[in-house]
Amino acid sequence: MNLMAEILIQVVIAFLAGSLLLGLHRKIMARVQKRPGPPIVQHLIHSLKFFFKETAIPKTVSKVFYIGIVFILALIWVVGVIAGPVAHDSLLILFGVYAVYKIVEHNSGSSSGSPYGKLSCVRAVLSAATELPLFAAIVFVYLVTGSMNIGEIIAYQSAHGPLVFTVPLAALMFFMLIITKSPYSPFAITKDKVLISGFETEHFGFLRGFMHFSEAIAWYVLLWVFLTIFFGPLNAVGYLIGMIAITFITAFINATTPLLSPNHSVMTQITIGAICFFGTVLMIFTGVVA
Amino acid sequence: MLDYMIYILTFAVGSILGLLYSYKQHGEPFVAVTDFNVPFAAVSTVGWVLGFNSGNVILSAIGFLLAGFVMGERPGYGRKESAVGLIIGIIVYVLLKGNGMM
Repeated sequence: MNLMAEILIQVVIAFLAGSLLLGLHRKIMARVQKRPGPPIVQHLIHSLKFFFKETAIPKTVSKVFYIGIVFILALIWVVGVIAGPVAHDSLLILFGVYAVYKIVEHNSGSSSGSPYGKLSCVRAVLSAATELPLFAAIVFVYLVTGSMNIGEIIAYQSAHGPLVFTVPLAALMFFMLIITKSPYSPFAITKDKVLISGFETEHFGFLRGFMHFSEAIAWYVLLWVFLTIFFGPLNAVGYLIGMIAITFITAFINATTPLLSPNHSVMTQITIGAICFFGTVLMIFTGVVA
Repeated sequence: MLDYMIYILTFAVGSILGLLYSYKQHGEPFVAVTDFNVPFAAVSTVGWVLGFNSGNVILSAIGFLLAGFVMGERPGYGRKESAVGLIIGIIVYVLLKGNGMM
């Protein structure tokens, strides 16, 4: 198939699947909290709705930056789709995508000129603590498989079994990132409700639509990468079940856990990351990991 | 991948149509419906069975559209019907796979 068509199809799948999974996430959280909750398709409808809403631009914004940043946000997650599901390329590109995403989150808040956005921008710097466990997880995957290439990691797993059984603590570190990125997460300090909607507060209309579009793709890409590098070669049904299962688990965690304060959030992430890191190092040196 | 995109697209469209339809039928504030709607259960069952087992892109797409229509109804409606349809769809899939027909 033509590469451009393949990219387009995968981006549409990522957007639709990500939106439905985020809708499911909200639904499960609501059911855990004994509320009826919105329909599963609600996140998708919201995303589409924003594209047709009036776009107001506040006077305090840095205009070019404020508008450009949402396109960059959408673009980096499209790059995530290309590097992951389409090309099965290097994990380092996906790490780079996540690092740039953090910078975009930061700049989106600062460009708005709003105190809520600016505070969220400061917290985005703190929340970069999640990148340390992510990087450590990628390093362990490299040490075991000898490759950063997703295609080669899949081939390794088809020969030696899923990596989640070989380096479970590295998988846990990656799962921490997924919890952090999930909506209403205990670690979502950039979108704390005292900051209204955090770095998204001052983005309206189609600009917010692009942000919703990016969120949906980001959720799909993160789940896809996690399932691919830790659960071996999967078919479409395997991905579907895996993505729904992770969405269930994160929704349960988020529905029953209060939002942590920024310092507690960072310390918890770094502590869990450090325990998993040294645990995996110990497993490698004691020969548990071949 | 084009077939998966068609399936997910038809499921989403079906869900939106189901939501619009059920809000038109039931305008009242939220009620946890306990009745079992047999026609919708039949639509859901046909949808999930076709979606999982037809082996044809067009029929599967129609199946997911029907399944999405029932599953996408407004909160409180279509839950049991979707569950019944989904379970029957999975049972048929397992039986067909067990008999080597898929």
